[in-house]
Amino acid sequence: MLSNSPYLRTSYAETNRVFPEPYQRVLVGIIVISLICLPFVGGNYLLHLMNLALLAVIGAVGINLLTGFCGQVSLGHASFLAIGAFTTAILAQRFQMPFFVAIPASCCTGALVGFVVGLPALRFRGIYLAITTLAMHYAIIYVLTAYQSNVGPSATAGITVPAPAIAGFTLEGERAWFYVLLVAATTVVVFGINLSRTYIGRAWVAIRDRDIAAEASGINVTQYKLLAFMISAVLAALAGSLAAYFTSVVTVEEYTLELAIIYLAMIIVGGMGSIAGSILGAFFMTLLPFGIERIFEMLPWRLGTTAFGIQQAAIGIVIIGFLLFEPDGLIEMYRRVATYFERWPFRYRELQSIGGR
Amino acid sequence: MELLVSILALGSTYALLAAGIVIIYKASRVVNFAHGELAIVGAYVFHSAAFLTGASLTGQSLLITIAISAAASALFGVIIYAALMRRLLGRPAIVAAMVTIGVALILKAAIVVIWESRSVGIALGRQPVITFESGGRVTWIDVATVVVCIAFFAALALFFQYTRLGRQFRGTAENPLLAAQRKVNINRILAVAWGMAVFSATLAGVLFGSRSILSPQSPIIGLSGLTAAMVGGLDSLRGAVFGGLLVAAATYITARLISPALSEAVPFLILLAVMCWRPWGLFGTVEELNRV
Repeated sequence: MLSNSPYLRTSYAETNRVFPEPYQRVLVGIIVISLICLPFVGGNYLLHLMNLALLAVIGAVGINLLTGFCGQVSLGHASFLAIGAFTTAILAQRFQMPFFVAIPASCCTGALVGFVVGLPALRFRGIYLAITTLAMHYAIIYVLTAYQSNVGPSATAGITVPAPAIAGFTLEGERAWFYVLLVAATTVVVFGINLSRTYIGRAWVAIRDRDIAAEASGINVTQYKLLAFMISAVLAALAGSLAAYFTSVVTVEEYTLELAIIYLAMIIVGGMGSIAGSILGAFFMTLLPFGIERIFEMLPWRLGTTAFGIQQAAIGIVIIGFLLFEPDGLIEMYRRVATYFERWPFRYRELQSIGGR
Repeated sequence: MELLVSILALGSTYALLAAGIVIIYKASRVVNFAHGELAIVGAYVFHSAAFLTGASLTGQSLLITIAISAAASALFGVIIYAALMRRLLGRPAIVAAMVTIGVALILKAAIVVIWESRSVGIALGRQPVITFESGGRVTWIDVATVVVCIAFFAALALFFQYTRLGRQFRGTAENPLLAAQRKVNINRILAVAWGMAVFSATLAGVLFGSRSILSPQSPIIGLSGLTAAMVGGLDSLRGAVFGGLLVAAATYITARLISPALSEAVPFLILLAVMCWRPWGLFGTVEELNRV
């Protein structure tokens, strides 16, 4: 039963709704339907961008569970992606493993690496943890560079990954990939939303807000911090693994510290501790360089390498701008607008609920 | 002998970088991830200033170049504080650290946009002082690097010990709230800290650029500086010198004895080892771990 007042909840079912307002369900429905119809309207370029963004969504949900919900800042996310991509590349290229073996295997490796990288989190928090994950990132990348130049087929060109094939059907072309990635990203998003609403997500939020208080209320901080690192690394490895199949070539040079910063920027821009925020942030940060490129194409003169520099600077400006002026990200902008209409003529919103939209 | 001089010179550069990180950390509990970028951009500015004043880098033009880049770097540090860091007072230290990452990205882009990613070297003191029979040599800039580093640390020690501002600085580092209640202008102290830090970064960058080549990849030395600071302890200037020398020695010896490829990995391997063994550093205070 739906009460008329937005403040009054009369049943648990009502408080547990992911989308409490009817218009939200309509909005999500429209978005899903338009995404399903998109390949029939958009061209290959648009679909390619959407595919990149969907890959980013998977990784961004992962880092948001770790940084946004559990409060553990990680600068090592690029190495998780790299681990996933390399495991896939090695299995697919050297051992001719099929699609459905390589991806779970990559996720398992990701979990293992996430466990190891997460170990320092038991001792440090804040900046010290960020520095440790930074060092871990360089150590992992060093190992992968050594693999690529000594063991891999070619030192500079990277490792080629064959297109995945399931029962004689080869996954090729932007349109087929779009549907695969859409299903994968949707699954990850639903997983993230549900995880953040269960006791695991609530335990993470408690650890983020005050770890000592969390421990005092009976949360096993050690276990939950490691779990956050592992789940986050699994999702990143999944994104890396899918990206390896999607781009069909894996090079260690792709996985720079900048990539880790871009993933961090996604959740800063989208909104820390919000799954919907990760989606917004992932789309924003993926489309930003292409948008800037599009603007430059309209200019009467050519910029050359300057354009590349400006794209880089834009990432920095976006990070600083959001941290200074809108620390809760795009999702907070949406919430402000939504609250205004939902609660009109009142000005106040309900008490902050955990997770959800 | 030649190896020792190289280690001393590189170690001095790292120590200067670490000093900048430590100064900012002590004053405001912010770890500056943009330090390598600040150093290299400072060196590029020095190079351009030298070009403007006559490119010869001798006598008067050298003095003018030094004056310009010193003033510009200190001013830039104050601007970073006033425009960005000041607004972040009272927010978690990790947020400020992320803002410095944003600054790092912008500075890296500046190298691409303003200097078009050119690789440049600063032609300063490349003449040898002593040439060994084995062919190795010690150049003026090696000597200058060590001397500048010693002079800088001596000046810092005198500044913190004997001047009014230096004492206020130490007070702020220890307890900002109490310092503020004793009428210390915290904003001024933090602005001075940023000015000093960017100045020392530029110094390190110029010395680095005179001994090797500046390129868009050079800001990675910031990581060596950070490692040096962590080895010594983020809140210890003494530790910065020691950490700088240790990182430089380890890097050089690995490059000489094992392989140059591995030597690139050395700074962060040391960093990992320090984090496992003594995360507060050799000279740092243990409680610092919980303060950020």
